Amino acid sequence: MDQQLLAKTFVELADNLVADFDLMDFLRLLTDRCVGMLDASAAGVLLADRDGKLRVMAASDEQVRVLELFQLQNDQGPCLTCFRTGAPVIIPDLTREVDRWPRFVTAAHRSGFGAVQALPMRLREETVGALNLFRAAPGPFDPAATLVAQALADVATISLLQQRTAQRSTVLNEQLQTALNSRVLIEQAKGKLAERQGVDMEQAFSALRRYARAHNRRLADVARAFIDGSEPLAGLGS
Amino acid sequence: MGAESRSARIQLLVAEQAARRGAHVDVVDVCTAAVAALPVGGAGLSAMSRVAPSHPLCSTDNVSELLEELQLTLGEGPCVDAFLHGQAVLTPDLLTRDLQDRWTVFAEAALEAGARAVFALPLQMGAISPGVLDLYAHVPVRLNAEELADALAFADLATLVLLDARIDETGGPRGGPADDLGAYRAEIDQASGMLTVQLGVGIEEAFVRLRAHAYAQGRRLADVAADVVARRLRFPPDAEPDQAGEDD
Repeated sequence: MDQQLLAKTFVELADNLVADFDLMDFLRLLTDRCVGMLDASAAGVLLADRDGKLRVMAASDEQVRVLELFQLQNDQGPCLTCFRTGAPVIIPDLTREVDRWPRFVTAAHRSGFGAVQALPMRLREETVGALNLFRAAPGPFDPAATLVAQALADVATISLLQQRTAQRSTVLNEQLQTALNSRVLIEQAKGKLAERQGVDMEQAFSALRRYARAHNRRLADVARAFIDGSEPLAGLGS
Repeated sequence: MGAESRSARIQLLVAEQAARRGAHVDVVDVCTAAVAALPVGGAGLSAMSRVAPSHPLCSTDNVSELLEELQLTLGEGPCVDAFLHGQAVLTPDLLTRDLQDRWTVFAEAALEAGARAVFALPLQMGAISPGVLDLYAHVPVRLNAEELADALAFADLATLVLLDARIDETGGPRGGPADDLGAYRAEIDQASGMLTVQLGVGIEEAFVRLRAHAYAQGRRLADVAADVVARRLRFPPDAEPDQAGEDD
């Protein structure tokens, strides 16, 4: 692992946490850095809704999103196991887990992934979600990289609490609810933009994110304004 | 508590209230069931909009009816804040200085009406936010984590019931909300966003049309949404919900 990149990443994440904070942008940044730094092909942050179902909050690309959604709908896979046990699940070779998670392993293989690790997002006694890393090639994970991944999962958990809510809510499941709703907003906006400009969901997300950053706005706020048509967003075709 | 069962359990409680009335599930059943399940004295629900006038839809007693009317008339209170910020507003005790300053007129009127705790839960799915569910108690009360999760689940169900009522208006099949909350997928949200452009309508209408199509075709909402996202299915503008075109 590149020590300099590691240091740079933590500085970058810390900077984001203290500045004008945008949870959705931050979590996407975190998954992107997992890929860049930890020899992962794709990464995703999953949070439990109040039914205990894991929902994707951020992912480093759309391909893994699809996979993870598949995993959720089938109620099986390493991420779910990690969330339920509150312990890391590290699978260096997915082909050995066919009996355990037949549908998940097939889907992962089809998407080009051979190894996976899931790290719990823990807050005090409670597991609120998991950080999921996929790698194309099977083989052992570097233990140092796993430690860093767990640290990043912890940072992701802390970032949830960083979300300043207008009502100063201190209730965790209300905060999670707000975060999950932000994700819904962004998906709706991605759909609208993808259709309007004839682009795919990943390109639509990038455009929304670029716009939010250029205008120093929160991603969820830009998404809402774009869907409502309540303000013109230059360059987003509104 | 079986985590997976919360939505299903809440749905059952609401269906029981509807059965007791001998009617189809309506938002009033969500209110009645919430009062029975939570440590509150009454519940009310208002339709809210940023562009059209808001109005009370139902309430379980006189106090909650008054609370709904007060907030909409005054334009202040937990319900108004919950709608504007898209976040639950939990007020365990109205008799605190801070809150009396925040809602000067409402706090005093609510206390006089006999409400001491008020909880306002926005009905929302992203940018779809058709109203607010209000709960009140005669005594100061704090909802614990389980109770709050239940309250949020009641609000989610109310959202679907409210939107489904619009499908009924256009002749869609009746019935309680299916287990679509469980089948919730990013693709449903993406498809709703895409339909705003295809149909030239708002996000709420787009979602209603998507759901109406699924009903009419007897298909799962998630499957219809996946077809829209994969661009296998388009909704031509001004088509009836069941006449969306299949592209092959």
